Amino acid sequence: MRIHFDWRLARVIDSDGNVIDELVWSGKRSVGALADRLAELQSGRLSPEARVLSERFSEAETDHLGAMSDPDWPEADGDEQTLLAEATDRLARRGVADAAGDLDRRLDMLSSAASELRASWTTSEARCVEWAGLFLSEADLDAQRRDIPGAVADADSIDGAAEALGIPAPEHQPSPAEWDALRSHATGVVELTGRLDAAEDATRELAGGYLPTLSMVVGPLGAAKLVVLAGGRERLARMPSGSLQVLGASGAMAAHRRGAPPPKHSPVLFSLPQVSRSPRWVRGKISRFLAGKCSIAVRVDHFDGEPWDEEQIAEINREVDAIKARFPKPPKRG
Amino acid sequence: MAKPVKLGWGVRREGRSGIWTRNAVKGISVRGERRKRDSRIEWRAWDPNRSKVAAALLRTNNDPTGLLPEPGATCLYLGASYGGTVSFVHDMVCGSGNHLEGQIIAVEIAPRAMRELAALASQRPGLVPVLGDARLPHTVSPYIRGKADWIHQDLSMADQAETFVKMAGAFLKPGGAGLLSLKAASERSSDGDDDTRFAKAERILEESNLEIVERIDLAGFEEQHVVFHVRKPVD
Repeated sequence: MRIHFDWRLARVIDSDGNVIDELVWSGKRSVGALADRLAELQSGRLSPEARVLSERFSEAETDHLGAMSDPDWPEADGDEQTLLAEATDRLARRGVADAAGDLDRRLDMLSSAASELRASWTTSEARCVEWAGLFLSEADLDAQRRDIPGAVADADSIDGAAEALGIPAPEHQPSPAEWDALRSHATGVVELTGRLDAAEDATRELAGGYLPTLSMVVGPLGAAKLVVLAGGRERLARMPSGSLQVLGASGAMAAHRRGAPPPKHSPVLFSLPQVSRSPRWVRGKISRFLAGKCSIAVRVDHFDGEPWDEEQIAEINREVDAIKARFPKPPKRG
Repeated sequence: MAKPVKLGWGVRREGRSGIWTRNAVKGISVRGERRKRDSRIEWRAWDPNRSKVAAALLRTNNDPTGLLPEPGATCLYLGASYGGTVSFVHDMVCGSGNHLEGQIIAVEIAPRAMRELAALASQRPGLVPVLGDARLPHTVSPYIRGKADWIHQDLSMADQAETFVKMAGAFLKPGGAGLLSLKAASERSSDGDDDTRFAKAERILEESNLEIVERIDLAGFEEQHVVFHVRKPVD
């Protein structure tokens, strides 16, 4: 005995092809109701009618593909075809809209925007400081670095900028057109700084809630980057720590496919202060250790574990220090 | 200009590499392709550099008509993406206002692509956009009106051949045609180089209940891609 069904009806059919029982969807047929129904069917569940019949005939086998090749299956009439077409369209559009509810996608947009802004901020800010510094020969390009773009953007002339920075007016003046270009460049840098801060703050907030434990281990921005590179939190959580360890080293990984030695480190982990501020000869050891901790941390976050507390994070940091203490000197070359 | 060669209803080849389909939605190009009028009919250029099905039509050693669905057919398109190729299949299977009464189930997993596909479907009755995993039969079964006459699978993921065998087994009508676009780079690198991966896919198809009609190499149009043309035997 088998149960064949589609969105309209369900039938119990015996081995000779006789219809033993039939239930037709009797509720109000609207586009929204049918879209809900299709979503259920599409996720592999039974229709409500098929569920009732399978309770009534517990020995009958349900067959998702049965109705499709059943020669006696009633044809959909014109109204039903129209309703199905509308509901299908509704469901597809609903799925597109629901993508915005997916935190992985939101984090991807935010974190990628933050990384791109960071890249262009670095270039623009350096150019702005060098450019203004060419004229403002007395400015301290290290100590006053943060103030230079703002001072130039708010000034009417290069002399005004010098005054704002508390240094003597420069010997050489830029031409009016040159000054306009310099000032609008500086205005751009100030504005870019604001955009970068907004994107990074929002990333920190989202990652802090979505990846609390991983954020504590590698910082919220690092946590967001790892998830984005893995293609989602679940994929990162299911990734072995050996893959996590080389996440982001896509160029080296591609070279490895063509026969080069495998990449050893992830640029995300390697740029963490725990790694990058450590002596060169322990960086690999620390990043392997942290990769292991990260892969546990993201599993805690994804599979609803108890988030780690400060004490557990402190223990990880102690372990990092212990690794450094164990290898105080670079290995001898042999 | 040489006389156009008819490849099927609403599909023709002109010259060496021009393929045109009869536009089901007059005045609109789906992705900026050329259109031209020939009395009351408008034709749309099907670029073999952008569509693996079009490339396969030019590269096959057999009659290209066998690669295409008949007008009014039930078609399953797995991995529809933004719907470029789907729109040409729609031209020949459904036609304007679906007067040919075809059905094309277009499955795509990416919401970004589905956005364009859903917009395309509202202009083209008979085209059914489904957002879901093309590897699962129940993604397709609520929508398809019967077994399919024609299946095309173009997924960028590992185990493409296994998926194709499973889906064609569930949905292809005996005697129906299937096209599997295989991208070597999507298979696991541990499976060896491109040729080894194609050979592995070929073996999986041979061991299935499908019959390989032809293996079409798309070199020149699409590197590292082959299209397998299969047929489900009538039992």
